[in-house]
Amino acid sequence: MDIKDFEVDGDGFLTNPALWNDEVAKVFAEADGIGEMTDKHWAVVRVIRKNFEEKGNAPMVRTICQETGLKLREIYELFPLGPARGACRIAGLPKPDGCV
Amino acid sequence: MDNITKEQRKAALDVMRATLAADSKFQTHLNACVKCGLCATSCMYYIAYKDPKFIPGRKVDLVSSIYRRYFTPEGKYFPALFRAKDLDAKMAEEMVDCLYGGCTMCGRCVKHCSIGVDVAYIVKKGREMLAAMGLVPKTLQATVDAALNTGNNMAIPTEEFLDTLKWMEEELQDEMNDEKANIPVDQHDKKIMYTLNPREPKFFPLSISAMAKVFYAAGESWTLSSKYYDVTNYGYFSGNNAHAAQIAQYLYDEVHHLGAKQLILGECGHGSRASRWEGPNLIKHPYDFEMETVLELMAEYIRSGRIKVDKSLNTTLCTLHDPCNLVRNGGLLQEMRFVVKSCVSNFVEMTPHGNDNFCCGGGGGALAMSEYNERRLKIGEIKANQIRATGAKIVITPCHNCVDQLMQLNHTYKLGVTIKTVAEIVADALVITPAAAKPDPANDTATSAAGHSSEPAEKDPTLF
Repeated sequence: MDIKDFEVDGDGFLTNPALWNDEVAKVFAEADGIGEMTDKHWAVVRVIRKNFEEKGNAPMVRTICQETGLKLREIYELFPLGPARGACRIAGLPKPDGCV
Repeated sequence: MDNITKEQRKAALDVMRATLAADSKFQTHLNACVKCGLCATSCMYYIAYKDPKFIPGRKVDLVSSIYRRYFTPEGKYFPALFRAKDLDAKMAEEMVDCLYGGCTMCGRCVKHCSIGVDVAYIVKKGREMLAAMGLVPKTLQATVDAALNTGNNMAIPTEEFLDTLKWMEEELQDEMNDEKANIPVDQHDKKIMYTLNPREPKFFPLSISAMAKVFYAAGESWTLSSKYYDVTNYGYFSGNNAHAAQIAQYLYDEVHHLGAKQLILGECGHGSRASRWEGPNLIKHPYDFEMETVLELMAEYIRSGRIKVDKSLNTTLCTLHDPCNLVRNGGLLQEMRFVVKSCVSNFVEMTPHGNDNFCCGGGGGALAMSEYNERRLKIGEIKANQIRATGAKIVITPCHNCVDQLMQLNHTYKLGVTIKTVAEIVADALVITPAAAKPDPANDTATSAAGHSSEPAEKDPTLF
């Protein structure tokens, strides 16, 4: 699978979030220069995905920290593009509105 | 674009007619361009693409050709002779492409124009016509709608916002070793109502605790609102003035509701502009309270000695990115440098900088418009190269929109820098004195030590 196989919006976010699965996440992560998805990466992605499926949007970074037990700085290190353009994109969410 | 209806055309021409009647500047600037071409190489889009459609004068010409066609007799009867053009589907499409997708309204061309044509103003008027036709790019409109419907452009529920503030407050209390260090919310009759960019509580809350630390050090009387704290105003970029006015009104009303004396605009270029300079025109009356940017407030704190900063606490080589709406279009060139240079010991300017600085590439709503993402990153290469040439490891900028674009440029062009807001740099340089915040001298050493650390919360288990 290659990132070019997916239909994405202008910002590179998956057009149809329902098509997302773990394989898709790996492809997007690789395109972002994240070598291998570690357990910590997966933990963040799962929290984001769960929030999206339950509430229809991206969680606060506060929720990500609480539910994964990760520290804020770790989130930024795991996803250099940040929680939105980095983690939410890998989790197959639409791009959040606003200055991100 | 399929076709535009008669109603759409009428709506756009009504906007033009009303603007011509209300503001003589519009007609003057529509007629002033002498096609000298000096503006071309001041535009990031033209520099990056070398496509004549991005020449600023040509963007003005799109709007002025409609003016000539519908508002001058010569253009009406001899359109070909007078470069007058119909407002048809093709024209509307070109306008959307060039005025939303090919201009950040940074105003760099305005400074280089031999006549002084306010290109960004004309582009804004063109956007207002497109907005009246219902042609605002979808993603930009979504951001405006979120602000209109929920009070903040990321539609953050109040409870989640408060939970994040509580989190940051606990971190601050731990760091200051003082349970009185706080982030006040919805408190009435405070001196200041402070504002945020919603991306701070949502994804990047460290700038909130940084500013709270500055307020703590200054012993300031301040509060946030739980409902209307959003400093941004994407209605200013979409071109729908009714939306922009509504968003500006939210902040105005909230200052009165909370009985604050002063509105302090958080680190946001266009948001500061939309309230401070455009606000009275939007809400149709003057503001009856004081309003300034947090940059000016921090400058006052430093100048008056109300906070003490030590530049030896920030030794990494820093550079500064001038947000267009705060510097070229906002007049804060010196004030911003005063604050930053008081707090860092190793500073280098970009070339060019100040009033001639290049936009980050994400202004004018570009960051919110996925439709033009590729262009945004391509024009951003100019900024990336400017940053790389400085050799700086930290890029400071007092605008969260710029921060996000710079973060993406950092990643895309592998710059290896850290992006910080001005509040974060000031917080890192703070020396918290006993007089400012802590009455108990026994704790002075601990407080001062925390204030001395350039990574103040490092020891904190939750945050780092």
